[in-house]
Amino acid sequence: MTSQSNSIPMPASDAAAVTAKSESTKKNASQSRPGRSSRPNYRHLHRFSLPLSVHPLPPLIPHNPLSIVSVLLSYLTYFIAPPQHEVYSAYFDSDTSSIHVTDAMAIRALWEMGFFGKGSLSRSEPSWLEREKKRRGLLGGVTSEEVTRQRRTERRELKLERARMEKLAIEQRLKAEAAAREASDTSIDQPSLLPSVTGVTNGTLPITEKFSLRKAKEAKLFESQRSVAQTEGENAPDTPDNSPPNGGKTVRFSPVVQAKEFVSGSTVAHAPDLVVDGRGAEDEPLLDNEEHLQLSNEEAFFLVYGLGALQIFDGRRNTVLSPPSLLSLFCQHSRFPPPGTSADLETDDSFMISYVVYHHFRSLGWVVRSGVKFGVDYLLYNRGPVFSHAEFAVVVIPSFEHPHWSETEERKARCASKQARSWWWLHCVNRVQAQVKKSLVVCYVEVPPPVEDSSFSSEDIGALLARYTVREMLIRRWVPNRTRD
Amino acid sequence: MADTDEAAIHLPSHDFATHIDTDLSDETQDFRMLSNLSFLTDTSQATLPKRGEKDFEPNPTLYQADILDASRQAMHNALAHPRLHHPKNQIIGIYAPDGPAPPRSVATPKKLDTITEDDPLSTKNTADTEETPSQTTTGPVTGVHPDSCVYVPNPKGQYFKNMGRADRWNRVWLLPEEALYLLERGSLDIRWPLSETGCEDDGETDDPGIPMSLQAAYACFIGRGGLTVDRFSVYSGLRRLGYTLIRAPGWYDGVEEETEDRELTKCQGPGLAGIYGRFMKWLHSSRTTAVGPVAGLGIHRSYNDIYRKLSIIPFHDPMAPPSQPSQTKLPFRVVFYVYKPSTPFRKTAPPPPDFRVAVVNARTQTTVPTLAQLGTLLESTPLDPPKGEKMERMLYMRLRHGYRSVVLAIVDQGVVSYLRVADAAFGKEKLYNRVAPIGNKKGAHPRPKPKGR
Repeated sequence: MTSQSNSIPMPASDAAAVTAKSESTKKNASQSRPGRSSRPNYRHLHRFSLPLSVHPLPPLIPHNPLSIVSVLLSYLTYFIAPPQHEVYSAYFDSDTSSIHVTDAMAIRALWEMGFFGKGSLSRSEPSWLEREKKRRGLLGGVTSEEVTRQRRTERRELKLERARMEKLAIEQRLKAEAAAREASDTSIDQPSLLPSVTGVTNGTLPITEKFSLRKAKEAKLFESQRSVAQTEGENAPDTPDNSPPNGGKTVRFSPVVQAKEFVSGSTVAHAPDLVVDGRGAEDEPLLDNEEHLQLSNEEAFFLVYGLGALQIFDGRRNTVLSPPSLLSLFCQHSRFPPPGTSADLETDDSFMISYVVYHHFRSLGWVVRSGVKFGVDYLLYNRGPVFSHAEFAVVVIPSFEHPHWSETEERKARCASKQARSWWWLHCVNRVQAQVKKSLVVCYVEVPPPVEDSSFSSEDIGALLARYTVREMLIRRWVPNRTRD
Repeated sequence: MADTDEAAIHLPSHDFATHIDTDLSDETQDFRMLSNLSFLTDTSQATLPKRGEKDFEPNPTLYQADILDASRQAMHNALAHPRLHHPKNQIIGIYAPDGPAPPRSVATPKKLDTITEDDPLSTKNTADTEETPSQTTTGPVTGVHPDSCVYVPNPKGQYFKNMGRADRWNRVWLLPEEALYLLERGSLDIRWPLSETGCEDDGETDDPGIPMSLQAAYACFIGRGGLTVDRFSVYSGLRRLGYTLIRAPGWYDGVEEETEDRELTKCQGPGLAGIYGRFMKWLHSSRTTAVGPVAGLGIHRSYNDIYRKLSIIPFHDPMAPPSQPSQTKLPFRVVFYVYKPSTPFRKTAPPPPDFRVAVVNARTQTTVPTLAQLGTLLESTPLDPPKGEKMERMLYMRLRHGYRSVVLAIVDQGVVSYLRVADAAFGKEKLYNRVAPIGNKKGAHPRPKPKGR
């Protein structure tokens, strides 16, 4: 049971956290010295796993009568003044068939609590404003995109360097060979230059001058560290990413890290807190945040229907869409071009299938994000993308086992085409996942037959979802060479 | 899939390097290592040679050309090395086109007697063989697989430790794939039977007859007793790597499979946790799930409560007994039991296999299996839930291991690729129940903290 109470860093009290945050912003404002770039305290920042506030009861200790009093007191407070349930608002954009969130507070909340959506101008975390400010010289620090760009340029430079070194080595060898040839015109042979059949293979190959990328990187790292040490206190935000090569995730999502702040009572000694940005736009009247948070349809529906933490307005932004109407809207937009409004809800709709999978993994505690960059449907993160790489990549395949789907030939053919995947496709996806060190999960969704009376389907969404079944298969390449023991 | 490795394309020496199937983790080999192999020089030092570095581009240096030459030379040396078959180790098998039969000297007079007197013995034998009783007793020679078609009258050598079946006349009968495999690797010499060659009048002489060619062996054995080229390529490929393979009951089309795990699964119901979960689900009535929010409108006490309320999607529970025993259909059927080289193996009493392999032809079965096909295939394998201290600790490992697993061998025109399919039940692993690791950096804690405590 201790595991339960420990599982999520519970908010000791929301008020305390808020004050800590405001304090941190104050401190950030006061001490604007450019600090070294380091990771923000993600554990504190993303301590809420869902955009819902929880109010745990004080522990009830049987032999302590005071604890009973405190429990009763907490009940009483909730009764008198029920805590405000935060509902964020967004609107549906039918042109892109996606959900847009424009309110800065809602954007921060949805990203920080559960990693929902992506910035329309950013890679994932909405950080456009930070980058723009940075670009205009208004802010120090580095954003994740900049870190990545810098890493890429570094890598490219190293590769160029390596190519240059290799070219140099070849030239030297050519020169040496030419010299040897001249010499051999006078003498007879030069056996030492030629690699003998046995000599080469003794493990110690004479190609030791090969330029090692890693070695060069280490050397460069050392150099830059030294330079940093020399210019301590000066602005040196571009320290290369010196995390261990195979250690934790090195991708950074921090928007602002120029100011350091020590959180009292935190286990991490160097735990800089974040500025609540987005609201920073108010300080800069000339810079508007052009970015919005873009939610996928599955995420939006989960937030509305599953959590009740979001309300979605229609395109004209005057009516709030109810979950059933939202569901039919998304189902219509799951095909392109969207059919007319008259189309009925179908159980084999691709939105339904993908939402079932999304909801399933979200309800287990995974952070589910789109896996389109890896050629899959979803990526499963443990706690969130800032903490670790995704371990599982999910591919969704519908399954039509119910006799309804094989009643007519036409229906049979349609279902067969929907669930058919070729071996080439599977191997392709599998090899890509192996390359990026993820495990491939094929998630089969058993699609129920449509219900006869149409009134039922869109009214009771819970009953509709409960008719689906998911089953995960983990697929991995089996290499007989390695399992031999 | 069937294409040459991408790395090999970049290699300058595409004269033979690319055409040779190099299974050493899909890389093109540097053949200079061949000249270092111990069997060529002496048998005293048995260390594997290291592979050299690869050059990706041709350059005009003599040095590279010399390496290439050396590699080629090593290859030629290895190929030109005389492979000797010592007459002392020569194994001679005789093809029996009509299946297992007693030797001619005893066959005709007392064929009936042998069957009757061996009957109790045969039933006892079948108890520990992998075949169903009906299969074994149909053959006229007891204890021998009826599909066997080659017998070795004078068996010796290490091959018969995990291959073939001996009859009561001390002849070892080989299945077609076993005979073909041994013939291919040059360990066996198969002779045509005297009846086929027409020189029968010799009677029982020492001269066993005319040797069978490899082509003739392929013609005779492939297609015999359910042996296809796909199955044979899987068999020989894994054999060459040192695995031991036996035919699984699913090899034959019409055979009922043994369901070893039926009783095991029956006694394990949904368990207390499952009942509790069902009760909790019932408790949170469907009022909120109709139009949402599923998490409820009131005050939330903890995230775990929210997650529990959110779990409304049913998932497959691999521990639950299968609803209706369904029959697996070819090709999604276990046809081979595979044993690691390290697994102690006895021919008469094969242990539970390390891997179960189904062979799929990618050209006839062009699509990935559907849920039904894969589900029945997995149901035919025994339940193997993750256990052990390490599995307890590692969530990812537990998920990757799964509750049941099967290996699919996808054969695409001779190229075999293996996929391990495991029945992972994500729904049984509640991630939100886990302890969040302490500290900001995960790299500092390679091991997640044990649950609870």
